[in-house]
Order: sequence, then structure tokens, then C-alpha cells
Amino acid sequence: MTLAQDIDLPRSKSGSARAPLVSRGAMLRWGLALLTFVLCVVPFMLVFAISFGRKIEGAAWGWDFTFENYQRFFVGAMWPDDVTFLYLQQLGYSFWYAVIASCLAVLTALPFTLLLTRLSRRAQAMWLVFILSSLSLSEVFIVMGWDILLSNNSGLPALFKSTGLTQWLKDVGWFQTLRDWGLANPRNVKFKTSDFATILTMSYLVWPYAVILLYPPLSRLDPSLREAARTMGAGNWQVIRTVILPSVRLPLFGTTLLLFVFLLGTYVAVTVFADPSKHTTAVAIYSNVRGANLNAPFGATQAVILLISASVCLVLGHKLNQWAEKRA
Amino acid sequence: MRIAGHLFMGLSALVLALPIVVVSGAALNGGRSMFFPPQDPTLTRFGEFFVSEPIWTEALMNSIIVALGAATLAVLLAWPIAYLLWSQNSPLSRVLAGLGSLPFAVPPIVFGVGLGFYWGFLGGLGALWAGIVSHAVLLMALPLVTISIGLQSIDRAHLDAAATMGATEAVTFRTVVAPQTVPYTISGFFFVLVLSFNEFIVMFFVSASAYATVTLQIFNSLRNGYTPTMAVAAITFIVVSILVFSAVARWGDLPRLMGADQSRN
Repeated sequence: MTLAQDIDLPRSKSGSARAPLVSRGAMLRWGLALLTFVLCVVPFMLVFAISFGRKIEGAAWGWDFTFENYQRFFVGAMWPDDVTFLYLQQLGYSFWYAVIASCLAVLTALPFTLLLTRLSRRAQAMWLVFILSSLSLSEVFIVMGWDILLSNNSGLPALFKSTGLTQWLKDVGWFQTLRDWGLANPRNVKFKTSDFATILTMSYLVWPYAVILLYPPLSRLDPSLREAARTMGAGNWQVIRTVILPSVRLPLFGTTLLLFVFLLGTYVAVTVFADPSKHTTAVAIYSNVRGANLNAPFGATQAVILLISASVCLVLGHKLNQWAEKRA
Repeated sequence: MRIAGHLFMGLSALVLALPIVVVSGAALNGGRSMFFPPQDPTLTRFGEFFVSEPIWTEALMNSIIVALGAATLAVLLAWPIAYLLWSQNSPLSRVLAGLGSLPFAVPPIVFGVGLGFYWGFLGGLGALWAGIVSHAVLLMALPLVTISIGLQSIDRAHLDAAATMGATEAVTFRTVVAPQTVPYTISGFFFVLVLSFNEFIVMFFVSASAYATVTLQIFNSLRNGYTPTMAVAAITFIVVSILVFSAVARWGDLPRLMGADQSRN
């Protein structure tokens, strides 16, 4: 390792001998830094700056420094005469969908990935091609696929009806339960629009990501630990509970957190599958910035709050991780 | 237990494939509406998508231009940062790597909104080149990771040997570093290519409806109902993804790129 650092020697030597070269290197470095800053940071700074701006009726918006947008987000525009928590509620739905979908994805991806890492290298590569292909598949296509599967005239509801499953559900009495959950109309089951369809699609959206994120820690699990536990007479379930789960606790938690943050911004799945009264902050951001409302500063405010919520979750997760590591 | 495991994997694969199969099957419909299983199967929709319907051919062209441009640009942006991080590991290089991954780490809709304002000021809103730059910045994190993995895999002994024999940094780079990292650079390029091809929300904001890529065109058509031609687009995309990742698996070490342990198997 120390030898490797000595490789830098020729560079520093030539640097001291020929001064202009150094400054060119430094210039390149700072040029790169400037470029990265302009491309990766400035867009976020703009969102932040514009979130304090003001909408101008009949025009677009103007620079300003007002907290009105933030006030509107938390207590509504009419405060203190009238209070509305509509925007907080939208943020709440963002969290609700994202939490359930990310937990569901990780819980089902864990056993899958565990089994995947025990296959041969070649088989693993083939599975990874499949997983990566479905991971990269656009949100738009995934929503389209599930939309066809879940829509009332084709797809599963039609299948339920034609196979007599609907009738059977009615006979058994579970149909009423489905109706109570909002998953059926008087004639047949329906999945659009429902929380079920939204969460299913969102979970499907990040499932391949869960596998990809869990793959490195799980493939590094030492098989001898498992074998040792086996030798000492531990059953399958016991091995999973006492050996595997404790050693992947942190990556498991980290993966869930990352997927959760990613899902906070889901747009297409929510617009198509969620009931309009249960739309999320992401949908509101779009309708303010590009859509019907045309209130870019308020859209920016919502984006900032979404970003802050995501960061707070990540930081809290990180702290919790550190705390757990210290205790372990 | 073994059988249950195989069953579970099979079931997962089935659910994973289900929407893809349904969409693909729907592409064969003879009529104008989507049915599954397809009615009056035909391949005319493929002709429409690739040849005869200008809406789709233009969208496909835009998607290809953006994906190729973004992948090239992302690799060009990521290389110096990854190299700096590997060769110096200075605080500056770590900050740069962090900033480069930032757009990929936050909910994409926030970056999309930011870029919408950004290009509005710079006059690039609705221009194809702005779309290319946007995707390159968004997805730069991927080549950054793959190239870093590649650089770390270089045997330090080779570098020592080169240095002992008096090679300058430039010569070492050309003869040792570059050849060994080619597969990783190409993998990074392909990751960006495929993800850019499929990306929706950022493009939604920066295109400002001035042009459409395939994913945008599909979203626009969602409101008017599906046509089987859209399903052809889906098939095209999934086939491109499978081909690209198979190529990466064939010529690169996919399990290693995904972070598997080297020492086993």
C-alpha cells in the first residue's frame, strides 16, 4: 500500500521541476470542480432559491424572499383565518406508499437474493441479466403492464369473472371483505384505483433494486458460519434467524431506506393507480411546475420539503446505524 | 427446502416477468386496442413503430440520440473524477465524487424540477442537447462506480513495475491503467445507455413538450388509451436491455461489478 502511494513520486518530481505543469494540473482539477458544481449543485440551489419566490398572476413568477409558500404548505394559504393540512396530507401519502412498498420489496427480495448467491457463478450472471433488464425497464412500461393486468375490462378482474372466482368469492362471503377494503364494486373485483395497486406497482418498481443492493452483502456472507451452525445441529430456520439475519441487519436496513427515498418521488404509478384524493407530493409538484396550477415557486417549495424529508430520513438512518454498530 | 427455494425463485421470476409478458403479447394485436391474449395476431405494429408512423420513429430517434450522447458524456465526466479519486484520494476528489453522485441519490423528481429551472435560465429548455446533458449528469454516478471498481482492480505491482522502469504518469496511464479499465468503462457506458433510454421523469421536465422520447410519447398516449404500437416500444426496450446486459455479462464480470465476493466460486 505504501509502495503504491510512491507511484505519485514521478508526478510531484516533474511538478517541482517544471512549475507550469503543476498549475495546469491544478487548473484542470479546479475546472473539473467548477464543472461538477455547475452541473450537479446549481440546479438544486435554483430549486431552493425559487421556493422563496412569488407567483405573479397572469405571468409566470418572480424572485422574492417570502415564506408564504412554506406557510401555505404547512397550514394553507388562508392562515390564520382558515387552516388546511392538504399539502401535509399529500406528503403523508408519499411516506405511506413509500414505506410499505419499500418494506414489501426488501422482505421478498431477501430470500430471493439469498438463494441467488448460492447458485453457480454462471447462473448468477444469467439471473443478474434478467434482474438488471427489469430494473432498467421504464416506470412507464411497468405501469402500462400492471395497468393492463389490473384494469377492469381486461386483465385480472376479467379473469376472475370468467373463471368463476368472483362467484366463488361471493359464495364464500369474502367478497364483502374485499368491498370493505375498496377492492371490489358490486359486480366484480376492481383494482383501479386502489392503494393495493399503487403499492404493488411501486414495490415491483424497486424490487430489482432491492436484489441488486442486497446482493453484495449476501454474497460476502461466510458459508463456513452457516455450515458450522448446521454441524451443531441448527435447523434451516434457526440458521437464518441466528446467523444470516444478524449479519445482514445493517445492509437490510440501509437498502430499505434507499428504496424508500427513491419511492418518495414516484410519479407515474401514483397518477395512474392512486385515487385522486390520495395523490402524493410528487404529483402536486408536477401540477404546480408544469401542469395546470402553474405556480412554480410553490412547486419548488414542495420539492425542497420532499428533499429535506428524504435527507432527514437518510441522516436519521445513518445515526441509527452508527448507534447500533456501537452497541454491537 | 431446496425445492421450496427453487419454487420461490421461479415464482419471483414469474411475477417479475408478468407485466412484461402481457405488454409484449399485446403488441401482436391486429386491432387498435389492447387485448390479452392478443386477437388476430399480426406483426404490422412493428412496422408502424420502426418505419411508418412518424410520431414513433421520431421519438425513437430522439431516445437513441439522447441515450448515446448521455452515455458518452457521462463517461467523459466520470473518468477524470474517478481517476482523481483513485490516484490521489484527496479531499477535493472525494467531494467531487460525492457531488457527482448527488443527482442520482435524491428523488429524481427534485432534480427534474431543478433542471427545468436551470435550462429555463440558460436557454436550453426544450432543446435536445439539454436533454443529453441532463441525463449525463443524472446518471454520471454509474460510470463513476464501475470505473472506480475497475481502477481498484488494477494490480499495484504493475504500477510499481512501470514506475521502476521509469514510466511517466502519462505512459503508465496509456499502457497499464487504460487497457485494464476498458471493460469497466464500457459497462458504465452501457448502464447509462440503458437507464437513459428508459428514464422518464427528468426528461419530462427538461423537454418542456418541445420533443418527445419514446417514454414521454408513451406517457402522453396513456391518457388516450393504449395502442398495440406502444407495446412494440416496450418489447424493443426490454430486448435492448437484455442484449446490453448480456454483453456486459459476456465480456465483463457482471457478478463482480454488482459487488459479489471475488474469492469464491
